[in-house]
Amino acid sequence: MPEALIAKSPLRPHVASEVSAHGDAGVTLRERLDLRLAQISALRGREQELADAVRQAFGVELPATSKRVVSGPVAFAWAGPGRWLASSTAETDFSALPGAVSDQSDGRAVLSVSGPKARETLATLISLDLHPRAFATGDVALTHAASIAVTLWQSDDAPTYELVCFRTFAATLWRWIAHAGASRGIDAKLG
Amino acid sequence: MRIACPHCGPRGVDEFSYLGDATLTRPASDAPEAAFADYVYFRDNPAGEHRELWQHASGCQSWLVVTRDTRTHAISQVEAARDVALARSKGAA
Repeated sequence: MPEALIAKSPLRPHVASEVSAHGDAGVTLRERLDLRLAQISALRGREQELADAVRQAFGVELPATSKRVVSGPVAFAWAGPGRWLASSTAETDFSALPGAVSDQSDGRAVLSVSGPKARETLATLISLDLHPRAFATGDVALTHAASIAVTLWQSDDAPTYELVCFRTFAATLWRWIAHAGASRGIDAKLG
Repeated sequence: MRIACPHCGPRGVDEFSYLGDATLTRPASDAPEAAFADYVYFRDNPAGEHRELWQHASGCQSWLVVTRDTRTHAISQVEAARDVALARSKGAA
């Protein structure tokens, strides 16, 4: 009998398990290990069918622009024209949706960066304007952070940002963020 | 240089990769060899407006047709390559 597959963090063997701030933490870095991820692409000519199915199953409209919509444990982030990155903190099965669905739970890593100095820390890695008037909660950007392709969104006004990258880049991205946060009181801890 | 991706908004050129001339069309399969040589090897090098293919490689990965002045790098138009191709095939039909 083959052993059951066990989800493992892509970071544990590669990064220091804890970097603590002296005094108040300006920025907190964590790995999200509680998310199921799926990439969903609309099939040509069946875009409406997918949008209808998502509305019926989850009660949300698939965003047509670079936004992220949340419905209970489930969220859909725009990931390019006709593509979305679905995430869920529950046991949600996206495979019944009428589109091309591929599970990314172990393919991508999600890093969460939050706190009063989160924006300043990310600004050293990302060349987009993250000022609230340009990028707010619910906004999504497909860009790169220190040359690593990321899907970035702001999930609350703390502010909390989440960066989704391919699994093999997670440790490098983590180290970049930890380095950028070193002078801003970073509290980085593996889950 | 910044390119206004029709899907993502204006982004730095570091997010894009360049392919080349967007005005080329593949000759018919029975076209003479000279037409294929022209299609594969020969390129104009205009000083002025040029239509070229770019990909928003570290963004939404869309292919774009960018109209750029090669002397000033001023970009006058950015279209999704898909729309350009669809319009072209409609025009041919």
